[in-house]
Amino acid sequence: MEEQQKYARLFNDIDSEALISLGIVLLSTIVLIIVSQRGLNWLGNRLHGQVRFRIFALVPMTRLLILITALAIIVPIIVEPSLRNMVTLMGALGLAIGFAMKDYVSSLIAGVVSAVELPYRPGDWVQIGDTYGEVKHVGLRTVDIQTPDDDLVYVPHLKLWDHAVYNANNGGASLQCVASFYLHPEHEAGWVRKALRDVALTSAYLKFDQPIIVVAEEKPWGTHYRIRAYPVDPRQQFLFITDLTLRGKKVLSAAGVQSAMLPPDAALDNRNAVGSASSRGSD
Amino acid sequence: MGEQPSSADAPLWAVVELDQFRTPEQTQASQWRRSLRSVSTWLGGKNNAEQQVKDESELRALPEVRLAHIVPPIDWAPVAMALAQQLEGQDAPVTFFITTPFSGHASVVTHWAEKHHVTCLAPPTLSEIAEGSTQWVERCVNQREWAIPALERYFLRHTQGIQGIREFLERALSGRLGQGVIGCDSWTYAFLQRAIGIDGAPVFTLQSMEGEQLSRYFAEIATHSGQPPPVYSTRTGKQVLANLKGNGHELVKNEASRKGTNKELQRLAANCRGHVGLAWHYWRERLREPKVDDEEALWLVDALAEAELAADTGDIATLVLHALLVHGGLDDHCLGEVLPFSHHEALNARLALQRKGIVSNCEGRWQITPLSYASVRQLLESRKYLVDPL
Repeated sequence: MEEQQKYARLFNDIDSEALISLGIVLLSTIVLIIVSQRGLNWLGNRLHGQVRFRIFALVPMTRLLILITALAIIVPIIVEPSLRNMVTLMGALGLAIGFAMKDYVSSLIAGVVSAVELPYRPGDWVQIGDTYGEVKHVGLRTVDIQTPDDDLVYVPHLKLWDHAVYNANNGGASLQCVASFYLHPEHEAGWVRKALRDVALTSAYLKFDQPIIVVAEEKPWGTHYRIRAYPVDPRQQFLFITDLTLRGKKVLSAAGVQSAMLPPDAALDNRNAVGSASSRGSD
Repeated sequence: MGEQPSSADAPLWAVVELDQFRTPEQTQASQWRRSLRSVSTWLGGKNNAEQQVKDESELRALPEVRLAHIVPPIDWAPVAMALAQQLEGQDAPVTFFITTPFSGHASVVTHWAEKHHVTCLAPPTLSEIAEGSTQWVERCVNQREWAIPALERYFLRHTQGIQGIREFLERALSGRLGQGVIGCDSWTYAFLQRAIGIDGAPVFTLQSMEGEQLSRYFAEIATHSGQPPPVYSTRTGKQVLANLKGNGHELVKNEASRKGTNKELQRLAANCRGHVGLAWHYWRERLREPKVDDEEALWLVDALAEAELAADTGDIATLVLHALLVHGGLDDHCLGEVLPFSHHEALNARLALQRKGIVSNCEGRWQITPLSYASVRQLLESRKYLVDPL
C-alpha cells in the first residue's frame, strides 16, 4: 500500500484542469513552431545576401527554444518536480531509449547539437555522405537537403556523429565554384591562364569582392586548368560554372587550343573527381 | 560663436576628389523608406501611401513649352569650369571624371575639351570592340593632350570586349599616350577598376547637392523666364522653392522658413543621392499646374513615387539591369552579347522591364529610366552585385 502511494506521488493528479493546461501548452507549442518555422523560412526566402542566412540560422534555434520552454511548463504539470522523482523518471526514460529508440533519440540529440553548433543551416550548400545540395529545412530528427536534381533527401542528424559535413558556404553568401578545362600539352600556358582569368572577370555572375584564381596542374595526358571564382549568390553556382565552361571553351577553341585526349582510365578517374569537385564547390 | 558652414553657403557646382564625395543627409532614411514602400506595395498593392494636401486629380501636366522655360536642360559649363580648376596643376597622365547615369560626365568633359582646345578621341567601332582589336589604340598615339567624354562606349563585358580598353588604359596610365581626361560612368568605372585595375589615377566627381542647393538651383533656372512661379508640394502644401530677392541672388535668410521650404527637396536630394542630373528628371516629371487656369502656382506631386522594382525581381531581370548600368546603356544586340543567356531570353527580359517603365530607349540604347535608378541601385546593392562608388 505504501509502495503504491510512493509511485503515485511520482506523478501529479491529472485532473481536468491539468489536462486542459497540457492541451493548451501542446497546442500553443505546435502553433508557435509552425508559425515561426514558416514565417522565418518565408522571410528568408525573400531576402538575399548575409541577412538571408542569418534569418535561416534562427529557424532551428527558435524551435529549440520553444520546445525547451514547453517542456519546462509541461513537466511540472505531470511530475512532482523533486530530485527523487526526476532521477526515477530519467532512469526509466534512459532504459526505454537504450533498448528501443536509441537511433531515434540519438538523432534528436544530434538535432539539438546541430542547432547549437550550426554545422549546417537552411540556405547552406552541404555534402553529407554522397548527398550534395541546399539545406532546405533543419528538422528535429532530419535535415532536408534539396539536390541539384531536385530530389529532397532527408538525412538524419545522427550522421553528425560519424560523418564529415562539407559546408560550401557556411552560413555566408560566398561559395567557391570550380570550372575545369583539360588541355592538350602543346599550348601557350601563360596566354591560357590570362584568357581563363578574363573569362571569369567578364562573367555576369561574378562576385567581385572575392579572388579569382586560375590553377594549372600538369598531368601525363596534358594540363588540367581550374578557374576558382565565386558567384554573386550561391544559388547561381551551376549557372556560373556553366557560363565559365561555355565561354572558356569558346575562347580556347577560337585560339586553336586543343582539348586533351584522355586515356580511358584517366577519363574515368577525372569524371568522378570533377563530379564531386564542381558540385561541392571545392576541389 | 563659430557656425558650421551650411549648404546655403556652399557653391552649387563643386568638383571634388572621389573620396570626398558625400551623400546628402537622410540618404539612409530614404533607402529605408523605399524598402518599406516596396514591402507595403507587395502586401497591399500599389496605393498612395501618404496623405496628400492637394488632390492630384485637380492638376495636369505642364505644356512642353512652359516646362522648357521653367526646367531648361542643365547647363554643364559651370561644372566644366570647376573641373578645369581641379585639373590645374595636375600632371598625372590620366585623370578621370566620373558621374552616375544622367549626371553629365560626357557633356562636362566635352565642354572642358572645347574650352581648352583639346581633341576628343573617337570611340572604337562596335566590330573593333567585339573582335578584341587593339588597332584603334594606335589612332590615339599622336596626341599630346586628349579627352574621352564617355569611356563606357569603349568596351563590352566579354573576353574580347575588354582587350582594347585594357591595352588603351595600360598605355595611357603609363604616360605613353600623353595627357588625357576621361569622362566615365560611375558604374563603368567600378567595373573597370576591378576588371582592369585603374587605381592610382586621380578621380574627380561632382559633389552631391543637399535639398537647399537643389532649391536654389531649381529657382535659378526658372528665373531665366522671369520671377520663378511659386511651387507647392502636394504632400505637405508648403512651398518647395527658395525665395529669391531682387536680382535673384540674395537668399532670404529666415532659417525657420528655409528649413520648412527645403524639407521636400531634401527628401528628393536623399532619394537621388544628391545627383543633380537625377533630381532634374524628377523635378521635370513631377511638376503640375492646376486645371483651373486662374491659379499661378505650380505643384510638385509626390516626388518619390517612381517606377519601382518588386523585391522579388528575378535573376534574369537583375542581370539585364546590371549589364545596362555597367555599359551605360546597350542596344539589343550588344545586350545579348554580354549576358549569359540567349538573345531571345535577354530580349524578353528587356521587354518586360520596358513594360514596367524600368528601362527606356535613348538614342538606340536601352537604359534605366532616371526615375527607376534609385530603386534599381538599391536592389543591386542588396543582392551584392558590384555597384558604383557614388
